[in-house]
Formats: sequence, structure tokens, C-alpha cells
Amino acid sequence: MSMLMLEAVLLLALIAITLVVIFNKDLMVVVVTYCAFSFITMFLYIVMGAPDVAFTEAVIGVISTIYFIMTLRNIDRRCK
Amino acid sequence: MRKVLPLILIVICLGASFVTLDFLPEIGDPSSKPNTHTTDYYIEHATTETNAANMVTAVIVDYRAFDTMYETTVMFIAGVAVVLILASHPERKNRIRFRKVRKKESRDGKPVYRTINKEVVIPLIEPMIMLYAIYVLFHGEISLGGGFQAGALLGMTYILDVMVIPERDSLIRLPKDKSTALGGIGTFIYVLTGILCMAGGGVFLEYEKLPIPMHALEKHSTGMLLVEVGVAICVMATIITILNGIMERVHFDDDTD
Repeated sequence: MSMLMLEAVLLLALIAITLVVIFNKDLMVVVVTYCAFSFITMFLYIVMGAPDVAFTEAVIGVISTIYFIMTLRNIDRRCK
Repeated sequence: MRKVLPLILIVICLGASFVTLDFLPEIGDPSSKPNTHTTDYYIEHATTETNAANMVTAVIVDYRAFDTMYETTVMFIAGVAVVLILASHPERKNRIRFRKVRKKESRDGKPVYRTINKEVVIPLIEPMIMLYAIYVLFHGEISLGGGFQAGALLGMTYILDVMVIPERDSLIRLPKDKSTALGGIGTFIYVLTGILCMAGGGVFLEYEKLPIPMHALEKHSTGMLLVEVGVAICVMATIITILNGIMERVHFDDDTD
């Protein structure tokens, strides 16, 4: 039961982060929050018993965030 | 009309996926077809047949090695596509204009001190990440990890080295042509392992027939290691290729041109 509660909390956090990503106007905030999205997904994978996938998620989440930030240096940070 | 047609297509695709959802087995159903045949076989025989304690690696690199070969090829093709799209050297006036970033100054006029000396800290972190990547690569069949994760960690080391301290000459520089070629080499190592098994008299990627004087189980471990080295090289090269492709378009504040 406690594992189910933990999964429920993590999934609710995912929904909250998704709402922030959709409705925020500052793209830098969006990118960093998206990094937190992959971080919480990593915890979900660990809870579900797939540490291999969690490891991949952790590494790829960091690398994609680096790419996003590199691209953000060229475009306007605030979206209309 | 231009808005109605995509809407109809979306509705059709959603309906088709919802109709086919009924034919799929329920998640975690112990009496479904894959859970009664293949899963039991893997759980019983994976450790004794492939000499790999990590069952995920045993399935990915040994039982389903042919699938993983094409996944590696897809990674390589993705890197090639990124280079073809992004690194096309647009005219200077067509490049994306970058914003001027003003240097930060403190409000009361005092100079801003750098609390972290990144030229010292980053070279200290890099060897640890690389050592961890090599550990993950060579212990892929025992603990978690494998070729993909090791390659991603190695690519991350390169990104750290190039992005954080751009003015320092790094030991290895991979321009876009060399990094793309390296991805091809990684895929080639994978295929070469399979062909070596054919040379020993087996079928493609049958590690027990590798022409090396070893015990059969050790041959399994060696074949998995060779394959994972190929995957790691391909993933590392693809990440560096995407970095090179983005760097072609990105202007930094300290650029000269």
C-alpha cells in the first residue's frame, strides 16, 4: 500500500511539472523544470523495479537539458 | 479544409489505437501469452545460459542481439541526419541572431568573485565520470548499465570538456566528420562480432561459436562485451555529433566572427 502511495505522489508530481512546463512563459524555467520531470521519472522507474531504465533516464535527462540550454542561448528566452 | 483533414486523421488514428488496445494483454497479467512462455524461460535459463547475472543485459545483448544491432544503426542514422540538417553552413545574414548578454556586475559596484574555479574543478570531475563509464561498460552483465549508458557518460564528458572550458585545448577534438565516422565504426564493431561468430561455424551473433580458445560461457561474456563496446562507441559518437551540429548554429558571446 505504501508503495502505491509513493507511486501516486510521484505521478501527481509529474502532472504538476507538466502544467508548469505548459503554462510558463520563461523558457529557461521550462527547461530546468523539464529536467526535474526526468528526475522524478527516474524515481518512478526505481520504484517500479527497473534500475537499468532509471540509469538511462538519468543520463539522457542531463544531456538533453544541456542541448536545450545550448539552443536557448540563441533564441528569445521569453515566449509571447 | 486544411484544418478539417488533420482533425479527421487524428480521430481515425486515436480510434484505431483505442480499438487495438483491447487485443493487448493487461499489464502484469500472469496468464497472458508472453508471461507464460518467454518470461518464464528467461527467468529460468538466462543466468545459466548466458553467464550474465543482469537479466536485462542477457535479454538485450544475447537473446535479442539482432534487435539491438538495428537499434544501434538507428542511433547512427540519427546522428547523420542531425549533421545533414543542422551543419549546412548557412549564410551569415541568415544565421539566427544572438542576444547580447551583458556581464553581471554587482549592484554596489564591488567586483564579483568567482567562487568556483571551473578550470580546476572540471578536470577533477571528468576522470571520475570516465572511470565510472568504463566500470559501467565492463560490468554491464553483472550490475546495472551497459553499452548505452557508458556511451552516454563518455559523451557527457566530452560535452563538459568542450562547453565549460572552450578555450582550453582538449586532448581529443572530434569535428563533425570524424564523429560521424566514429558512429559508423561502433556499428561496424557490432556487426563484426556477429560475423566472427559465423567464422567460427555458428549463425549470426551466436556467441558460443566465437573462434577464441575459451570456455563456452566465457565466450558468451566476451561476445557481450565486444557488442557493448560497439554500442558505447556509437552512442558516444552520436551525442558528440548532435553537439557539433548544434554548435554550427550557436553563437557564443566570446566568438570572434
